[in-house]
Order: sequence, then C-alpha cells, then structure tokens
Amino acid sequence: MAKEELLSDVTGTVWKIEMAVGDRVEDGDVVMILESMKMEIPVEATGAGVIAELPVAAGESVEEGDVLCVIES
Amino acid sequence: MRDRVMSRPGDDVPADAGTTAVPLEEDRLAELAFRREQAQAMGGPEAIEKQHKAGRLTVRERIAMLTDSDSFREVGTLAGTGKYDENNRLVSVTPAPYVAGLARIEGRPVALGGEDFTVRGGTTFGSQRRKGGQGGFVEDLAFHYRIPLVNLIDGAGGSVTSIKRRGHSVFPGVHGFERSVQLLGNVPVVSAVLGTAAGGPAGRAILSHFSVMVRNTSQIFAAGPPVVKRSLGQTIDKDKLGGARVAVDEAGTIHNAADTEAEVFVQIRRFLSFMPANVWELPPVISSDDPVDRCEQGLASIVPEKRTQAYNMQRLLRMVVDNESMFEIQPTFGKAVITTLARLGGRPVGIIANNPMVYGGAMDAKAARKQIHFMELCDTFHIPLIFFVDVPGFMVGEKAELEGTLREGMRAVYAAGNLKIPTLTLVIRKCYGMAGMATCNKNDVDLKLGWPSAEWGSLPVEGGVAAAFRREILAAPDPAAKEREMEAELKPFASPFRTAEAFAVEEIIDPRETRPVLCEFVALAEQRLRTELGPRARCGVQP
Repeated sequence: MAKEELLSDVTGTVWKIEMAVGDRVEDGDVVMILESMKMEIPVEATGAGVIAELPVAAGESVEEGDVLCVIES
Repeated sequence: MRDRVMSRPGDDVPADAGTTAVPLEEDRLAELAFRREQAQAMGGPEAIEKQHKAGRLTVRERIAMLTDSDSFREVGTLAGTGKYDENNRLVSVTPAPYVAGLARIEGRPVALGGEDFTVRGGTTFGSQRRKGGQGGFVEDLAFHYRIPLVNLIDGAGGSVTSIKRRGHSVFPGVHGFERSVQLLGNVPVVSAVLGTAAGGPAGRAILSHFSVMVRNTSQIFAAGPPVVKRSLGQTIDKDKLGGARVAVDEAGTIHNAADTEAEVFVQIRRFLSFMPANVWELPPVISSDDPVDRCEQGLASIVPEKRTQAYNMQRLLRMVVDNESMFEIQPTFGKAVITTLARLGGRPVGIIANNPMVYGGAMDAKAARKQIHFMELCDTFHIPLIFFVDVPGFMVGEKAELEGTLREGMRAVYAAGNLKIPTLTLVIRKCYGMAGMATCNKNDVDLKLGWPSAEWGSLPVEGGVAAAFRREILAAPDPAAKEREMEAELKPFASPFRTAEAFAVEEIIDPRETRPVLCEFVALAEQRLRTELGPRARCGVQP
C-alpha cells in the first residue's frame, strides 16, 4: 500500500474539511478547503485511495509544507 | 584484470581467408582493440560494483539508456593513463575519468559526456585538449556542430593533487566557463546531476537551460559537508545540504527532480523534444491527433462564480493543450506560477500560468525567478509564449519584502519587456498591477484576450475604493455602508466587456473556444518566427 501525503502549499487556516478518515477519494476530489490571502483554496486528492489520516482540524492554522491529509492507495 | 591479453595475429581470421596482412598492422589493430577494451572496463569490476551499490549507473550505462540504441560515437575513447613495462610495451590503460561523444536522441544528434565516477571519483583529467566537461572538448563538439549538449554530471571537480602533477596551481577560469556561457545563447544545454556534484561540475550544472537531479542518490552544492564543517563548524549531512528537497523544491538551484536515473533520461528526452537543434532553427513540429478545433465544454464552468474561490489551473491547461503534451519546468519551486512546455496542434509552445491555489497566484520572488528563466528559454529558442493570467499582484507582507519580491517581480516585468517572440495574453480571471504587466509583451502585436470571467486594473475595486476614498468613507455616518455603496457604483465599470467595447483588449472569447483560438495563434506565430531566426542580442542591465 502506497501512502501519499497532501502538503499545504500555503500558510493559512483550515476553513472546512469535506471528507473523513476512511472515505474513498478519486483523483481531483476536494478533501478540504483552506483560507489564505482572502482566497478559498481547495485541497485536492492527487490520486485514488482511502483517507488514512487527517492531522488537521477546521479553524487550525497551517504552514507551507504541513501535512494536511494522508491517502492510502 | 587489466593486464594485457593480446590475441595472436590471425587468431580470428579463417585460415582460408588468404590474408596478406602485414603483421605490424595486425599488431596495431590488436592494440586498438585492447585499448578500446580497457576503456570499456572503466574503473574495473570492484569500482563498478560500488557505483551500482550506491544506487547509481555507470556513465556508459547512462549514455546507453539516454540515447538511441547503437547511436553513440565516442570521441576520446583512448584518452587515459597508460602503464608500460620496462621494454616500453603497453601493460594497461586507466581511462580518463570522463566519457564523451556524439549520439542521437529520437533520431536527432546531440553531444554528450559525463564523469566516470569509477575512475578516481570522476576528477578532472588534465590533458592538452581537455577531456573533462567544463571548457572541455564535448562543449566544442556541441558548439561547432550546432547541436544540443547533455552533461551527465557525477563528480566533484578538480583535485588538489593536480598541483603536484603540474608543479604549480591553476588560476581559476583558465579552463573556464566561457564556452559554457557561449553555448547558452546557441544550442540547448541540459544538465543531469547524477551523483554528488560540487565545485566545477556543480557550476556547470547551473549553466544550462534545463537541469534535473535524482531524489535520494544525488546532491549538489558549492561545497560539501567537510568544507562546511571546516568553514562554519556546522555538521550537516550531504542530503540535507544539497539533496533534491533543498536544491530543487526550496532553492530552485536545479529545475526538476526525478525518482530514478531512468526517469531523469525520460525528462531529458522530453525536454529536447521541444527544442530546436540550435537558435538558427525553429522548434520541431510533430503531428498531433488532437483536433485543433476541439472545444472543451468543461472550460465554461471551471472558474468558480465566487471570485475568492481558487480552482485547478493545471487541469484547465490540460483541457486546452494537445493530449499529454505538457512538460512542466520547475513544478515544485515557486508554485505560484506554472511554467510548462506543451504543444498546440503539434507545435511547441511555452505556457506561463498563474496558480490561484498558491496564495491566489500572487507573484513572489521565487515565482518571478522561475518565470524569468522560462521566458528567456522560450525567447532564445523561438518558442511562442502564452500567458494564462490570474494574478492579483505581487505577494505582500514582511516575508515577501525580505525576499526582495518587488525587485524580482520588476525583473520579470523587465524580462517580459525584452521578449522578441510572439506572445499572447489570455486573462482567465484577475490581472492586476505590476505583476499583471509581467504577463504582456508590448513590443509585439501584444494580443490581449480575456474570458468573460476576466477582471483587470491597477488594483481591484474591492480594497481600491477604501484606499482612494478614505476621507469620504470615514466622514460618512456609516463608513462600511458608504464603502459598499461606492464599490457597487464602480463595479459595473470593471466588466471586461466595457474594456473590450473601448478596444483596450482585443477580444473576449468563449472559454470553450480557447483551444482553437490558441492553435491558430501558434500557427501564425510560426510565420513570424521564421523571419527572426538566430541568436538573441543581449541588451541592457537587469534591474
């Protein structure tokens, strides 16, 4: 099983989490939405799999490079 | 192992061949065969095994993997250090630690060379006509035949032991980078970092149009951990100092990373497929089975109605260009802008697209550096440029100022102002301020198109009103309501249709027509480019 980490490209806050651990995702599915520079930034799955970890919560601040989600394929 | 095993003259000649060969000549042919064998043996089986154990290929395996089969014509095969017995008969040859020559990639000629790490760790070979890379003969081959150069770098450059051999030290630059510099204006130069590169070879990796390194098995730095320890007292391992995470993702020292050496070669072949052999030629056109008049329905709804919602620009680009034709340069660095080679109707095109997923696409110092390199690359090799614009401006804030965003950003504006290739600007959503200026080429037709979702100006109405009418707003009984009212008053003027009505942009297009419109532009650009081949003159001083 391959694990793929989705990293944050921005410093900002987690606005909304759209999925839960255990959910199946396809390439391009929106896992969560970040807020930065007054923009809503969707975080999309980069491949199909199952969400194994969601180490952040809504309202939390994130830095560039932080792990937002781990997807197992 | 290296001892000479001479075949006796006539061994492989059938008895009935009736050969009348003179023994001396046969001797010489046998010697040539022996010397060639010695070259093929590189640093010997132990050194080769060590190289493989480190997860790396030998230079000869690399050349074979990169180039078309059986196309390698070696130059300097016999260069090395011969060992002779007391009767002056050859015993063995240690090959020069650099293998170079000519070959073909997808049928097109290239000059290429690389350090042989199995021989003295790939250190420089101080011969009369330098066999090594920097200032070496392989660069002359590329220069004089006007063909691309591929550097397969796996060495740390000069060794202090050469002082003893020469009896004196060498002034920096005597065997310098002047040819490497000259090549950058004439033929495509590609560098692959395939081992630990420091010193000269590291420098040469940078003097290229496209550079790529392997994650985990290669590193690059000005100087390695022992020098850092001695100079600064810091203990740091070589991956942390110059692995791909630092050199590619953070610093942009090297453009792309690959997981394996095999993938490095795929990337090199891919890059070269977009490049002409030299600046006197047009980039190669291939046939494409993706129809030029394909209209993509999905483009009509890809930009969210709400202007503060980001969308996936990569997906948008993939819907427009020829199927599977995108080759991104620096995908992990300066991600606020996407720089990618692609094809439209089979013709190479450079695409610079702002990425709303990264700080709304605001241009920071890294994105500016990335964009400048890409613009100069396309300008040098006559590849028309298309800007997909969604830029709110330069990145703001203390960190951005500390990084010199304003200066780097204005350098991008300057570089855009020096472009000679045909460019097209397509505004997808926002195009504001000076960062917006870096997406146009005023020297040219300066074709500016927009989608109906486009908006532009010096700065957005939102926020702009608060700055321009501050006193009036503050004097109002309800300042917030006053601000909203003034914004609502100005908002209709921000419609892209008003600008088109004034012919201040040339056209507003239906997003679904994007591909046909752009394919036509690129086809027309070729007409122009045909008349402007040759090297680009360098002018001015970059700000």
